[in-house]
Amino acid sequence: MPIAQYALRKLLAGIPLVIGVTLVSFALMVYFGPDRTYELLGKNPTEEQIAEVRSQLGYDRPFAERYAGFLREVVTFDFGYAATGEPVATLLARTVPVSLLLILPGFVLGHLVSLGLALLAAYWRGRVADRLIMALATVGMSVSFVIVMIGFQIVFGSSDWLGWFPVRGWSTDSVGEYLRYIAVPTLATMFVAIGYDTRFYRALVAEEMTRDHVRTARAYGIPEARIFTRNILKNCLIPVITRVMFSIPSVAVGGSLLIESYFGIPGVGRATYEAIITGDQPVLKAVVTLTAILFVLVVILNDILYRVVDPRVSLE
Amino acid sequence: MAAAPPVLRVRNLTVEFATDAGIVRAVDDVSFDVAGDETVALVGESGCGKTVTGLSLLRLVPEPPGRYAGGSIELAGRDLLALPGEALPAIRGRDVAMIFQEPMTALNPVFTIGTQMADVLRQHRGLSRSKARAEAAAMLAAVNIPDPDRRLDDYPHQLSGGMRQRVMIAMALSCRPRLLVADEPTTALDVTTQAQVLAEFRRLQQEFRTAVILVTHDLGVVAETCTRAIVMYCGSIVESGPTAELFRHPRHPYTRGLLESVPRVRAERLPELPVIPGRVPDPGRLPAGCRFADRCSRVQSRCRDARPPLQPVGAGVPVSVACFNPW
Repeated sequence: MPIAQYALRKLLAGIPLVIGVTLVSFALMVYFGPDRTYELLGKNPTEEQIAEVRSQLGYDRPFAERYAGFLREVVTFDFGYAATGEPVATLLARTVPVSLLLILPGFVLGHLVSLGLALLAAYWRGRVADRLIMALATVGMSVSFVIVMIGFQIVFGSSDWLGWFPVRGWSTDSVGEYLRYIAVPTLATMFVAIGYDTRFYRALVAEEMTRDHVRTARAYGIPEARIFTRNILKNCLIPVITRVMFSIPSVAVGGSLLIESYFGIPGVGRATYEAIITGDQPVLKAVVTLTAILFVLVVILNDILYRVVDPRVSLE
Repeated sequence: MAAAPPVLRVRNLTVEFATDAGIVRAVDDVSFDVAGDETVALVGESGCGKTVTGLSLLRLVPEPPGRYAGGSIELAGRDLLALPGEALPAIRGRDVAMIFQEPMTALNPVFTIGTQMADVLRQHRGLSRSKARAEAAAMLAAVNIPDPDRRLDDYPHQLSGGMRQRVMIAMALSCRPRLLVADEPTTALDVTTQAQVLAEFRRLQQEFRTAVILVTHDLGVVAETCTRAIVMYCGSIVESGPTAELFRHPRHPYTRGLLESVPRVRAERLPELPVIPGRVPDPGRLPAGCRFADRCSRVQSRCRDARPPLQPVGAGVPVSVACFNPW
């Protein structure tokens, strides 16, 4: 099976990347990261107390030794205990699914709606509908994500306005509850995603429209709407896939961090944020490693999807 | 030869383009007929309006920047320029089909040959998926593509240029169009492939009894395939007539220059290949008189004042020429 073979080869090639990422981020953590010593000791600690805590935390050992320890944790996938005393594995098992459930709907819908709007805008190029869609996109792109979130919280959450959805907290007790809690974060994500992605996708579609094969389709009487939704769309998929796939790591980390802290949702983004603030290195190390691995997987999946949509691509 | 009634009747076709330098007339008052069994060449240099004329026959000139500023294109009795845009897909591919210059890019790279051919057949002949596929395979066999059933599942990049052009021809003929417009169909192919594809083309044209308009700058191709030729210069017809007569006795100085500048095997090597002196005038600033006047060896003073109309030369010769002082 060439695809499995290819994936395996790429996985092996991803090992240096993971090592590089862990090395750089570990160095940053050690030399520039927050030091938990003072947090644990409070005011006016003695020299001995400081030395003792530093030795407990392992801060006194040489960098190479500490990094080797980190690599051992990576290989065994055992990152020890978070500052709260909870095992890191448990913490991740608790928070990662929450983040996925929170992020995925907005992520998928954002790209789908953007692509749809881009096709419509290109189909009606130069007309009022095109201008309206592109104006909406410009607004979505120009307003900061933070402002959008606060604005949407007020509009959808405040009882003075619509008051339809909760804007703090999290529940997955039932599908209805889940949908109520993700409504506003999802709308905010989509609003911003539509801003950036619609412009990009419309440019792709507009470029594809000038291709010879589109003229051929037209010359053979294929209806215009079908040319857009089939001939042009499939040809645009490679750059679309690239954009979607490569935005996964940044959305998974950066996006969930912002949303979870503004909506008080107990996901991995907020856990990471708190770990950064408090210098909780075991959690940070786990998150950094997982992100690097996620990136490697995304690259592999990306190449395999290329092969699926474009027969000219070979996995060599 | 001209016994068959005309399939295509073009009258006073004028196509303009809006450019940064203002309105440019790419096709200026062009009229011609094509009968049901003819192969007619549209000949001229790049930029003479032959390709725009060819595209116009399917109303494929992009509007904007293009605009059909006047005239009519009657295909089987219907004026394409008077039809609403929604009526065009039903005609394109069924009544008139087109073959493009670049077989590399004219086919969609991400769909198989079979899918693309079946799309056209299903669109116009309402065939089921399996019937359309069978018909596509039959068409590939008709253009002498070996192993057609397997080729249907190939993507364009898996075929050679000649094969791709055969696929285009098969697709073009699959709905039995009355008129086939071929825009430089062999220019992108190497010489031996060119000859094969042309031979194929000629054979199929007789078999399917389709009228053909061959847009080309290659006079060799014209001599081999076309019954009649229309020579264009700067958007207008300068001379038209049966190919044999045109080649034997070119009357317009431009036609003569074009024929003389064709490289060919000669007994004696000429010190220099004859070329037409001067340059094609800027389409935005055309002279008031004959557009060829500045490059013409037989120019007279009246050539600069008025444009010579396209007129039959008379004396029983079916040639028309737009020149005050023809050979």
